[in-house]
Amino acid sequence: MAKNYQYCVAECWGSGFITLEDAIKIRISGFPGNVWQVPAHNPDANLWIMKVAGSFKTVQEAQAIVTAEVEAAQAAWDALPEDQKNRPGNNSRPTDIVLPE
Amino acid sequence: MSTYYQIFGGKINVVTSDPSDPIEGQTWYNTTSEVLKYRAATAAGAWAAGGNMGTARYILAGAGTQTAGLAFGGYTTADSALTEEYDGTSWTSGGNLATARNGLAGCGIQTAGLAFGGGDPSYSNATEEYNGTSWTSGGNLGTARQYPAGAGTQTAGLGLGGEAATGNTAATEEYDGTSWTSGGSLATARNALAGAGTQTAGLGFGGLTATAVANTEEYDGTSWTAGGNLGTARHTLAGAGTQTSALAFGGGPPNSAATEAYNGTSWTADTSMSTARRRLAGANAGPSSSTAAFGGKTTVNVANTEEFTGAGAGVTKTVTGS
Repeated sequence: MAKNYQYCVAECWGSGFITLEDAIKIRISGFPGNVWQVPAHNPDANLWIMKVAGSFKTVQEAQAIVTAEVEAAQAAWDALPEDQKNRPGNNSRPTDIVLPE
Repeated sequence: MSTYYQIFGGKINVVTSDPSDPIEGQTWYNTTSEVLKYRAATAAGAWAAGGNMGTARYILAGAGTQTAGLAFGGYTTADSALTEEYDGTSWTSGGNLATARNGLAGCGIQTAGLAFGGGDPSYSNATEEYNGTSWTSGGNLGTARQYPAGAGTQTAGLGLGGEAATGNTAATEEYDGTSWTSGGSLATARNALAGAGTQTAGLGFGGLTATAVANTEEYDGTSWTAGGNLGTARHTLAGAGTQTSALAFGGGPPNSAATEAYNGTSWTADTSMSTARRRLAGANAGPSSSTAAFGGKTTVNVANTEEFTGAGAGVTKTVTGS
């Protein structure tokens, strides 16, 4: 099956990490663990990963990073006192994230 | 085959560096990079990365614009009194709030900001005014509340909704720079909603009743009337713009990157943020075509700033063979 996305790990340093031109050319989505998703087979996406010195990850590797982050957040939520779980923004357990190929 | 000169009646400029301020439609050949470029207008909005905040936090409040923003309060591992000022590139520290708190609301601009409400552990009615350097106490809210929304200015502010000691409140209050007075009540009492617009042309949208809601309400300075529903029901979102040209972004659950634009009647989907998050803040004094989102929570507190540029902005494109 052809891949639609590719993944990398890069730390967002702030201004210039995703420029307006980058955002117009390609869809860049961030996930927990500094995992970034960009289109596969796309020269602009490859250039962006190079620009941000991203470390390429397979979808399985990226998924493992994201899952570890989500599970840590779920454990933190589970440990909250019951009254805190009902606070706005806290009132739902962090949900699993499944990265598409 | 027709030439560029035959079609447009002029030659393409040959330059060694890109023009600093090209106009839409302008075309040039850059001999340094050996590429043909042109200036076009964006067809849709786009979010670019801005400078990271100094302190990652959520349930904070925002004010100001994309190039003169203000972030204050919130929660890190404890309630925060921190204020940070944004110049369109980076954040610098401002004066601390007198009362550290989370779930507060904000409005106004960087040099005339307003913070009100919030809480944890108790509901707060505190109002503070920022002058670009420090916060001073203002008049207290009539109804102490957490997770309200704000709109307007420091001298004509609007506080709406939130969670009070008695539960979700529909109460609206208007600030005149000195004290709050009661305004018309929202039709739907809720907290963790977003606001936009002014004291006499305000907008409240999204929020939490027992569940996330999509309701939008429009304020005329006296009473609220129903507007079009958000496409995605959500709470702990942020907003910016005016009653007839607003932007809603982020929120949850689950964490959302969704952006929607309001035209005074209905919401339409716009380009999503890069990072899905809720409990974020926005530069809510800016126009919907130029705002910023900052802070919030994904699985962890985040410091990320994203800057929105609406459709129609100029962007330089390179002509490729493909």
